[in-house]
Amino acid sequence: MRAVGIILAGGNNRKMRELTHKRAVAAMPIAGSYRSIDFALSNMTNSHVQRVAVLTQYNSRSLHEHLSSSKWWDFGRKQGGLFTFTPTITAENGDWYRGTADAIYQNLDFLKRSHEPYVIIASADAVYKMDYNKVLEYHIEKKADVTVVCKELQPDDDATRFGIIRMNEDMRIEEFEEKPMVAKSNMISAGIYIIRRRLLIELIELCAEEDRHDFVNDILIRYKNLKKIYGYKMDAYWSNISTVDAYYKTNMDFLKPEVRNYFFKTYPDIYSKVSDLPPAKYNPGSVVKNSLVASGCIINGTVENSILFKRTFIGNNCVIKNSIILNDVYLGDNTYIENCIVESRDTIRANTRHVGENGIKVVVEKNERYAL
Amino acid sequence: MESYNPDYVLILSGDHIYKMDYEVMLDFHKEHNADVTIAAMPVPMEEASRFGIVVSDDESRIQKFEEKPAKPSSNLASMGIYIFSWPVLKDALIKLSGQPGCDFGKHIIPYCHSNGKRLFAYEYNGYWKDVGTLGSYWEANMELIDIIPEFNLYEEFWRIYTKSDIIPPQYIASEAVIERSIIGDGTEIYGEVHNSVIGSGVTIGRGTVIRDSIIMKGTVIQENCVVDKVILAENVTVGSNVVMGIGADVPNKVKPDIYAFGLVTVGENTVIPADVQIGKNTAISGVTVKEDYPNGMLESGETLIKAGERL
Repeated sequence: MRAVGIILAGGNNRKMRELTHKRAVAAMPIAGSYRSIDFALSNMTNSHVQRVAVLTQYNSRSLHEHLSSSKWWDFGRKQGGLFTFTPTITAENGDWYRGTADAIYQNLDFLKRSHEPYVIIASADAVYKMDYNKVLEYHIEKKADVTVVCKELQPDDDATRFGIIRMNEDMRIEEFEEKPMVAKSNMISAGIYIIRRRLLIELIELCAEEDRHDFVNDILIRYKNLKKIYGYKMDAYWSNISTVDAYYKTNMDFLKPEVRNYFFKTYPDIYSKVSDLPPAKYNPGSVVKNSLVASGCIINGTVENSILFKRTFIGNNCVIKNSIILNDVYLGDNTYIENCIVESRDTIRANTRHVGENGIKVVVEKNERYAL
Repeated sequence: MESYNPDYVLILSGDHIYKMDYEVMLDFHKEHNADVTIAAMPVPMEEASRFGIVVSDDESRIQKFEEKPAKPSSNLASMGIYIFSWPVLKDALIKLSGQPGCDFGKHIIPYCHSNGKRLFAYEYNGYWKDVGTLGSYWEANMELIDIIPEFNLYEEFWRIYTKSDIIPPQYIASEAVIERSIIGDGTEIYGEVHNSVIGSGVTIGRGTVIRDSIIMKGTVIQENCVVDKVILAENVTVGSNVVMGIGADVPNKVKPDIYAFGLVTVGENTVIPADVQIGKNTAISGVTVKEDYPNGMLESGETLIKAGERL
């Protein structure tokens, strides 16, 4: 592959409420066994990108833990590899990443030392499969300076939390509005860009000189009339997870056979860190309907239309409906959970009731867990 | 072995289910200044005649061996786990190199014993299961699905690791029923599963009922089957409306000592066509077709091996 990869995993997001208090969006658990960044990383490795840098800063502990070995995504190689860059205080620089462009600027050495002619920039907050080679071919064919992957949302989706794009007939981007109050169309930027490495270095350095820090506002939008910025329309499944509702919906999509088959059973695979857990255990009293269950779970109660992440314990007479139970949660006997997301490692005492009445409720109890 | 030049050699079997800290056993070996240490566990006296029995004195030094004795004089059964001081093992291996079928239990240990070497019994108390027969293999699996299994895979301490290459979670459909079972990653269940151990990447079709069975990785069972007390190896395909494990408990005609316990045993990559019935104590392997089943039936005690026709 003639490109290096950069995954922007530094973002913090208040729209995820309590869920991002202790982890980066990139480390959000997805579909029982994955984390959000697995999709971008697997796409990189499946597209034969050999050098990938993950730029991270907020709450990065769980993300670092997940990326502790690069072998799961097949980046454990002599040439290339997986790099994680957090902000570093040096003699010249005492700042955190002040924006996406600044994050790249602070790690410009990574780009300068690469020899690949192109750079693929992706975010870590979307669930999708993509062969970046196809986008690169398109980029070359269009003689573009920058190619932006874009996605047409459904008419009822909220486009205002994305960058809204308008293209001409040749797919050249003429308008680009970042998170507008009112969306003029439902064609949005998926946050995946291809750009020539030397051009990126040049633009990022110019940006830094002018004390500008944001890739979208200060490069894409500012240069859209000066540089040839093209849109590449993606038709396959793509879902962003960066609000509580979007996160819930994306996970629940995996209960649909077409989504499950597309990600779990269709080439190429999505990879993740393997955690050596025993099989899920169904004790007498367990009733499970239309649900995804990850390994290490022990179930004694009823689970319907839900997703149980790894090592969930469901006590006797529990009822879990339309909910997401994240990793390592212990639910005591007679617990009732409906329309909720239960935060990982939480302990819910016996006889507790949590129901999301107007939308999805995020449950964080932070009880002490006594030895099981 | 010479290139490593070890002080001690630990000899293990791959067909035992147990958790053991070998370092404690090695400390015991060193403490007793032993030449050979044999791990042994107490078994009920009435079962002792099924095992190799060691008789030891108060200092744990082994006095004699009894191989499957009719009248055992001790209930300490050898677990087939040995620590040798390397010079002792090396000498035995060289001296016995002409011995046909040279065996640790039958030749090497008795040789060391008769040469006056210091043999000790290291007593182990915990769950240990030999899964070297289909019956004990089936039993060991069934014990894993107890509410609190004696051999607990879910404890944080002393975890058991394996190669796992299937990552997605399992999907349990709306019409599925699952009771007292353990199920691996990536499996999809649309039917019923009772008292069974289901591996990774398995598919159980609609209307199919699985009972008391072991189903390994990648096996697909289509719709409306009945599967009773069956061991299905990896990547087996079973067509719709197949009934397995029915009829009388007739001994297997070819290998009655192996294909026993009322089990149906199906080898890896086997294909079983739709609409056939299969009896007990049977063995099936290879790509089978309807014509291999007279009147759509493989009677109890029959063996159906289609060599060289595996997928």
